[in-house]
Amino acid sequence: MSDMALRSLNLPGVGTKYEFETDKGDTVAIFFTKTGRIQMYTLQKDCKTPSAAEMTPVEARRLGNILTGAIIEADQESVEIAFSALADLRITIHTYFIPDSIAGKTIEELQIRAKTGATVIAVCRQEKNIINPPPSFVFETGDAALVIGESDQIKRFEREIMVA
Amino acid sequence: MESIVIALFVCLVLALISKYLSVPAIPFYILAGVLLGKTGLGLVASDEISTFFSEMGLIFLLFFMGLGLKPERIVSNQKAVMITGLIDLNVNMIIGFTAAYMLGFTFVESLIVASAFYISSTAMALTSLIENRKLMLKEADTIIWLMVFEDLILIIILALVSTGGQNLIVFAVKILAILGVLYALAHYGKEFLVSILDRDDELPIIFTFAAVLTTASVSILLEVPETMMVIALGVAFATTDADAFEQHARPFKDVFIVVFFVFFGATVDFSGGADWMMMAIICGLAIVSKLISGILTGIFIHGSAMSGLEIWVNTIARGEFSIALAVLYGTPLVGTTIAVLVIVTSIIGSFAAKYSKGLRRGLVSMGRRTGPPRRVHHAGR
Repeated sequence: MSDMALRSLNLPGVGTKYEFETDKGDTVAIFFTKTGRIQMYTLQKDCKTPSAAEMTPVEARRLGNILTGAIIEADQESVEIAFSALADLRITIHTYFIPDSIAGKTIEELQIRAKTGATVIAVCRQEKNIINPPPSFVFETGDAALVIGESDQIKRFEREIMVA
Repeated sequence: MESIVIALFVCLVLALISKYLSVPAIPFYILAGVLLGKTGLGLVASDEISTFFSEMGLIFLLFFMGLGLKPERIVSNQKAVMITGLIDLNVNMIIGFTAAYMLGFTFVESLIVASAFYISSTAMALTSLIENRKLMLKEADTIIWLMVFEDLILIIILALVSTGGQNLIVFAVKILAILGVLYALAHYGKEFLVSILDRDDELPIIFTFAAVLTTASVSILLEVPETMMVIALGVAFATTDADAFEQHARPFKDVFIVVFFVFFGATVDFSGGADWMMMAIICGLAIVSKLISGILTGIFIHGSAMSGLEIWVNTIARGEFSIALAVLYGTPLVGTTIAVLVIVTSIIGSFAAKYSKGLRRGLVSMGRRTGPPRRVHHAGR
């Protein structure tokens, strides 16, 4: 009988181990080591030597996003979240670096909401985050804008605003 | 003061090199001490400051060990841990002691050499498992718990050797009483401790340092070795927030332990004419005896001598605890012997651990070639 449950185990001096066996008999083990790095081992059924990958916490989180299905596009700057309870509402969040062409313009001038339907929910400027920028907000070159919307709206944003 | 600066600077360079080559740094630190100290260039000599730093290194090493010993963890999978631990203890202690005694060490010296000979380096074993990506092997669990078992034995060794003529029972009662008091403090003061540890200013780190130092000083008052006291403190503190204490004690440990290793190396003296033959025998036996205990463990726990090989390669290296024993109780000759033992076994161990896969594969294919052919037939079915 295979034990389907996820086992977690504290290993003195090493860290925490999570292990589970899949339906088909493969084993996956994750170790959060005290070095701060995360090691993932996979062992195919009837195979003796596992293969391993070592990740930084950031890389591990990225892998986690992929496995939970949050990232649909391979592009790491975009995350799509599906809310299955809300009639499969799929929301995309995308980061864009502001090009020279729209620097100096405000959100209002660019008519982002009217033209695309997408919303700029945050801007990162020189390590500082501006959450919910007002319509009078003036973009500068090098700003990173976080845009939220349905994937069509995001595509329109890319076409109408970024390229224009 | 210059000694410490020179020592630290050299170690910084050595640490970089050892990280680059991904081999353990401990043998390099000791070698640096040997080369810079008495035997070598004479650039580094211990003074008041370095002695204090070295003591701190030892104290923080043991405090750290105590933090890792969560008593409730040891209760689980008892039987396998006990079997593994006892095989390892008996095989290596007996071989180590017999060898040392026959090579002319006194009874007490032989006990110290045997203990240093027995105890593998926890730091190097765990690092090797992580670095060589062996955590998922079934042998890894065995090795990890073996290290915990060895730590417990070390505490018993420290207790036995450091009674220093006191009545054993009085001594044991004292230690247990202290552990009880520390436990009670940690238990009833848990909220206070956690509230201090949770702060993000300098308080947690000051508190950790002060607690360890205070405990070490109080030990003189109570006539109990400070080594036992700081381990007890670690064990008691581990019941509150072990990770936080580890995090705050780590910077002290990391710096002081390097000084400890270098100045241990610096005191090593080959001028009296080192008995190279004797040291070669000890080192050779140290590697062979872990092979024997490893293979026995492999057969008894995992039903395979191959597993024993994997256990062997990761436990060859002797390190921090062997040196601690040498510094605490060793005569100069014992110290020199243990220094050589640590340098040789840790270097050989790190390479063996790195290339164990190839070693295993080589042995398997060799076994196939020379082994009886019927096995192949069975495998085919």
